[in-house]
Amino acid sequence: MSYTIIKNERLNEQYYRLEHSSGLTLLVYPKKGFNSIYASIGTKFGSIYSRFIHNGKEITVPDGTAHYLEHKLFESEDGDAFSKYAKTGASANAYTSFDMTCYLFSCTDHFRESLEILIDLMQTPYFTKETVAKEQGIILQEIKMYEDSPDWRVMMNLFQGLYHNHPINIDIAGSVESISEITPEILYECYNSYYNLHNMVMTVVGGVDPAEVLSIVDEKIKPSETIDTRVIFPEEPYHVVKSYTDQVLPVAVPMFELGFKEDSTDQYATNKELICTSILMNAFAGESSELYRKLLDQKLINSTFGHEYLEGLGYRSLILSGESRNPKAAAEMIDEAVRKLHKEGISRANFENARKIVYGKIVAGFDHKQSIASELMNGAFTGREIFETVDAIANVTADDINERLEKELDPDNSCLSVVKGE
Amino acid sequence: MSDFIRKNICDGVAFGSVTDDRFKIGRLSSTLIVPLSKETAAANALLFCVLTRSCKKYPDFTALNRKLDSLYGAALYPSVNQIGDHQTLTISVTGIDDRYVLDGESVSSELAELLCSILFEPNVVDRHFADDDVEQERRQLIENIDSEYNDKRLYAIKRCVELMCRDELYSIGRFGSRDDVEKLTHENIYSAWENLLGQSRVELTMLGNSDVQKAYDGFEKYFKDRPRTFHEIEHQQVTHEKVIRASEKEDVSQSKLVMGFRCSYFKNDEDCLANSLMSAVLGGTPTSKLFLNVREKESLCYYCVSRVDNNKGIMLIDSGVETKNIEKTEEAVLKQLNALKNGEVTDSEIDNAKLAIKNSLMSSLDNLGAIQSFYTSKIMRDNRLSPLKAAEAVDRITKDRIIELAQSIELDTVFALRGN
Repeated sequence: MSYTIIKNERLNEQYYRLEHSSGLTLLVYPKKGFNSIYASIGTKFGSIYSRFIHNGKEITVPDGTAHYLEHKLFESEDGDAFSKYAKTGASANAYTSFDMTCYLFSCTDHFRESLEILIDLMQTPYFTKETVAKEQGIILQEIKMYEDSPDWRVMMNLFQGLYHNHPINIDIAGSVESISEITPEILYECYNSYYNLHNMVMTVVGGVDPAEVLSIVDEKIKPSETIDTRVIFPEEPYHVVKSYTDQVLPVAVPMFELGFKEDSTDQYATNKELICTSILMNAFAGESSELYRKLLDQKLINSTFGHEYLEGLGYRSLILSGESRNPKAAAEMIDEAVRKLHKEGISRANFENARKIVYGKIVAGFDHKQSIASELMNGAFTGREIFETVDAIANVTADDINERLEKELDPDNSCLSVVKGE
Repeated sequence: MSDFIRKNICDGVAFGSVTDDRFKIGRLSSTLIVPLSKETAAANALLFCVLTRSCKKYPDFTALNRKLDSLYGAALYPSVNQIGDHQTLTISVTGIDDRYVLDGESVSSELAELLCSILFEPNVVDRHFADDDVEQERRQLIENIDSEYNDKRLYAIKRCVELMCRDELYSIGRFGSRDDVEKLTHENIYSAWENLLGQSRVELTMLGNSDVQKAYDGFEKYFKDRPRTFHEIEHQQVTHEKVIRASEKEDVSQSKLVMGFRCSYFKNDEDCLANSLMSAVLGGTPTSKLFLNVREKESLCYYCVSRVDNNKGIMLIDSGVETKNIEKTEEAVLKQLNALKNGEVTDSEIDNAKLAIKNSLMSSLDNLGAIQSFYTSKIMRDNRLSPLKAAEAVDRITKDRIIELAQSIELDTVFALRGN
């Protein structure tokens, strides 16, 4: 088996891709002169994959199962992975998002041993009643930590205000009640349905030799049978659940997230769509925009103000967020600006500057191993080629942005989420 | 990558650089260092926010940001921090390397010029910064101070340190107090600018592959013929005979426990590394004593972490726990610390912590932001080892030295934020 090399001339960057015979997608991105290596294995199984059909059988798992599984996979019969990594010096971690679960390490020495540990931990599930029970106290404290986090709450409340049925409206870690229902059997069921190499991607970025990675994978990976698992999402109406939601938490400065829900399909957004959205938002709400200045002059935002695009299978929303002494007034001003934007479109001058900002951000991302790894992993799961954005941005026009705008920022389909003090 | 090279531009003004062509971004920053003082901390902090909002050449927030946008979204921002009993005030500019521009501009040279304009040619008329800039930044700085309460983990840590160091400059904090910020006059802010440029230590730093000759020249021209003074202050350490205990009630689901300790204070980089290693063995890694016992064995928490502030000679251990387990967690933490003091530590525990620290040191070489924090955090040390030299020094630290340093640790303050 040999790699395909994917290059970008403009940035003078390249990486290696291989669909390994075991089923695993392997992406290796050498960074010349780097001391460290960042390796990760991800499975396309996150918190929203709570209902699925595996080998013809429909399965629904308790909320928080993917995250619980992530914690427990770190342990195998002969001890936990942290203690094995301790011998190599690698710094290891794992995370569960809405869309995926990812296991990673970063090292400057003993790469081979560390990668072997990573592959082993993926392939040796070990769940017993006792080990599952032991984790409850720890995860309970993690859940409570998030319950008290205003940043997290303002976001989850927004998702609940935007989405009627889509599981993006459920906390990744689940709840105190839901995790008490998790059993070793459920964890094995999820493992068998989703921890299959055909559903998994390995990325290695940094001071690494692609040939070495391949030799370790060839040696350690046990091939997977082809997989038959299909996720089920409920129907989601176009309209938001409610236009306002709030929660009282001990905060000194209120926080808000204003989300604009969009039509979503069972397709991921394309690179071009993402680029256009990003340019649009930088032109509309970036630091030099008219809107930003007005909000600032009216003392409605501070430097925490920002925007992001939330996008995945069955959900797409544009979110503006920040701290504000008066979130409702800030939202009204944004709403007004959105209506004006739909009438006037973005100007050519704003477009040019916003295009440069987005290009600068993309270029900057290629300095960071972690950011490259996460783009590669995301790209593999969503069918987006990471270098495509660099060239897409050179060719995009103001008309493209205004065309994109037609499908975004519907002022009659938004929700304002606020976390405020007493 | 080159080593960190540092030379004097003139008395009290140094230029440090790490030349490295691996990166697509370049960083240029200017840091002014002064002793923390109740009289000036707030004015200095607000001044730096005001400075980065406009200058003579771009006399308005929007005009300045349009300029930055046109330089591929280059960033210009202030960072106000404290290093031990000193306040550090930094302005950084970062932008894409000239090799990657689309239209042949020289981003780095423009940014170098911009940094000088921001610092030396502010938007001032008759000792008066623009009203709008001052009021907007004052409001935002106050919101920034207020919002430190939003994150309960950080808030609890802040409260513990305030109590522990209440008789030391350290407790003034990097921004000074909210009250002080509110009361600042235009004259205070202008004086802060004059005094900072005349009475601080100045470090200009370039990381990456940028053309920063204009910044070097600008700094030389400005500082060369101006008389300068800088007094470093002696390290302060007020110890308490009895452990200070305090708690606050809060409507949250998880309680926070923060334990503040006094530990040995050093100005020598090797000794500081030994202190850090001791803390890593105790509670800095997923195989540390605190992680394995307080989290894994007793399932008391999700995190229980120790960290040393070598610039102050204190160590903090913090954890998020059930309210009913606050006392139990404190006991569990002290039990692990006592074990370390009694020499109950294996070679493999120490080797693991050494590997983790060396890994983190060597990894920092691949990230300009990490290189910057690495050298900045050691700005007050007698010597600053490179990451490579630091990693070698870690290897030489003995078990006896770790135990000796652990034995010098004394519990000073316990703060609990008690939830429901």
